[in-house]
Amino acid sequence: MNTGARRVREWLIERAIQAAGAMAIVFVLAIFAFLLRDALPVFRETTVRDLATGRTWLPTAEPPKLGLLPLLLGSLYVTIGALLISVPLGVACAAFISEVAPRWMRETLKPAVEVLATIPSVVFGFLGLLLVGPWLAELLDLDVPLFAGLGSLMLAFMAMPMIVSLSEDAIRAVPMTLRQNSLALGATQWQTIWRVVLPAGRSGIIAAVLLGMGRAIGETMTVLMVTGNAAVIPLGLPGFLRPVRTMTATIAAEMGETAYNTPHYHALFAIGLLLFIITFAANTIADVVVRRSGRTTR
Amino acid sequence: MVRVRVMAALLALALPLAALTGGCGRPESTSSESGDREAVAQIGSTTMLPLAGRWQKAFNRKQPEVDISVSGGGSGTGIRALIAGTAEIANSSRDIKQKEIAQAREAGVTLVEHVVAYDGIAVIVHPSNPLHEISVEQLSDIFSGRVTSWADLGATRMGDTQVISRDSASGTYEAFKELVVTMGGQDKTRDYAAAVLKQASNQAVLALVARTKSGIGYVGLGYLDESVKVLPVIPLDGGEAVAPTVENVASGDYSVSRALYCYTNGEPRGATKAYLDWIEGPEGQAIVEELGFVPVK
Repeated sequence: MNTGARRVREWLIERAIQAAGAMAIVFVLAIFAFLLRDALPVFRETTVRDLATGRTWLPTAEPPKLGLLPLLLGSLYVTIGALLISVPLGVACAAFISEVAPRWMRETLKPAVEVLATIPSVVFGFLGLLLVGPWLAELLDLDVPLFAGLGSLMLAFMAMPMIVSLSEDAIRAVPMTLRQNSLALGATQWQTIWRVVLPAGRSGIIAAVLLGMGRAIGETMTVLMVTGNAAVIPLGLPGFLRPVRTMTATIAAEMGETAYNTPHYHALFAIGLLLFIITFAANTIADVVVRRSGRTTR
Repeated sequence: MVRVRVMAALLALALPLAALTGGCGRPESTSSESGDREAVAQIGSTTMLPLAGRWQKAFNRKQPEVDISVSGGGSGTGIRALIAGTAEIANSSRDIKQKEIAQAREAGVTLVEHVVAYDGIAVIVHPSNPLHEISVEQLSDIFSGRVTSWADLGATRMGDTQVISRDSASGTYEAFKELVVTMGGQDKTRDYAAAVLKQASNQAVLALVARTKSGIGYVGLGYLDESVKVLPVIPLDGGEAVAPTVENVASGDYSVSRALYCYTNGEPRGATKAYLDWIEGPEGQAIVEELGFVPVK
């Protein structure tokens, strides 16, 4: 084959790969455009302020009441609860796997945790609905076996593999010399992990937590099944033991029956847009954190 | 940091793209004939899904040359599909909305209504609940959040009511709101309270009421079983409490009942007509009865 033909072929392959890469950006933009197109007409009926501060979500009332506050707070409650459970457990698990566990245990544990990520969310929903919910309701003497905290617990299990796996990578990337110096100075292994290794890996851990958060806030099936879906504003700690309604569950439950091009229809797209912006922000911040850390350690 | 700015610029690019895609039209009405075989797509209400599935199977055995496809998605989805021309029959467990009639007219679609069955909605509580009957007014107070304690209804030591409903995607939700929450339209300002728990299916409501001591909910007649207690309902004009049975729904004595509809575009023709005639005939109606719904007539 002569060099001319080879050059053309190289050029074609390069362009093809470039196009494949560009597709990812095109898809994100197209999704965003699609959400905007169907969400913006909602402002013919209501204002940003009424959407953000409205305390009642009754989209089928006449006129519809489209307050997103209970849904936004519902999502935040479930997500924050999930992070409170999964972050300490996940980071501790990651530290154990990479710092303490012997080689054979590490090689069993990490894949085992990652298998957790492959369990379909509807299975977690079933577990919560039929097993964990009734059991916790009995234990805590609750009226209803479906509540925000149950959603948090289920989501914690689902966010955990991501947090463990990414934190473990971050901890492992901490230079061995740091550990050796710490131990040489007379620090115990616990002191080394807690005061040296974890702080050194913190940016990777923070990124793991943010990605876990993105996973939790976007999860739909499980929360739809276990949180009860009552659009009330959760208050204080007891809020975790009462039913809430999340943004994702609202879209999933209501999209099917909404008449096309009604304020309700557009409001559901506005919720989708809000979710998109939240997860996009979480991912971008995670990205920035990782990049900045790359600069400081060098 | 630079990358963040690039992202922002890309998002700004997305705005005109949104305007561009806004111009896309809806799909044209599709023809139902394809060669010798005729296709009938039936889409809509999830309440009617078991019914439609059985109709499809039984009709296919009789007339295998007709391709009937059945799918759910909800009453609104079915009517949308009918207007868009992707369905021949829309199943609906609620009356059609003014907005949908207007959209149909805009698209040049004439909606024709066929009543194919009736459905009673039963009020259910936990088996340990001491109540024996309940009135429509009391139900309206409970579901709209005006009454929140079982003590107000004469049941002591039951705590607060836990109200369990279908979610707003359900035709049963709309029907129960119309018949009970607004008391048949007497007080249109009433709506479900925000604290009402929403469940995605009749089975889910049944299961949750069975597991919640202070719970109260509603399900279609066909879904009732021994795990819950059924409350007879005193109608709006007073009188005796009526139990939700097939006989009482058929006679019109049970007040919390509704019609189930099939909508078509214009008067049905060809295979669609044959299918609908069969549904309204003795064989289709026998399936209605078998599944716990109430036959027409």
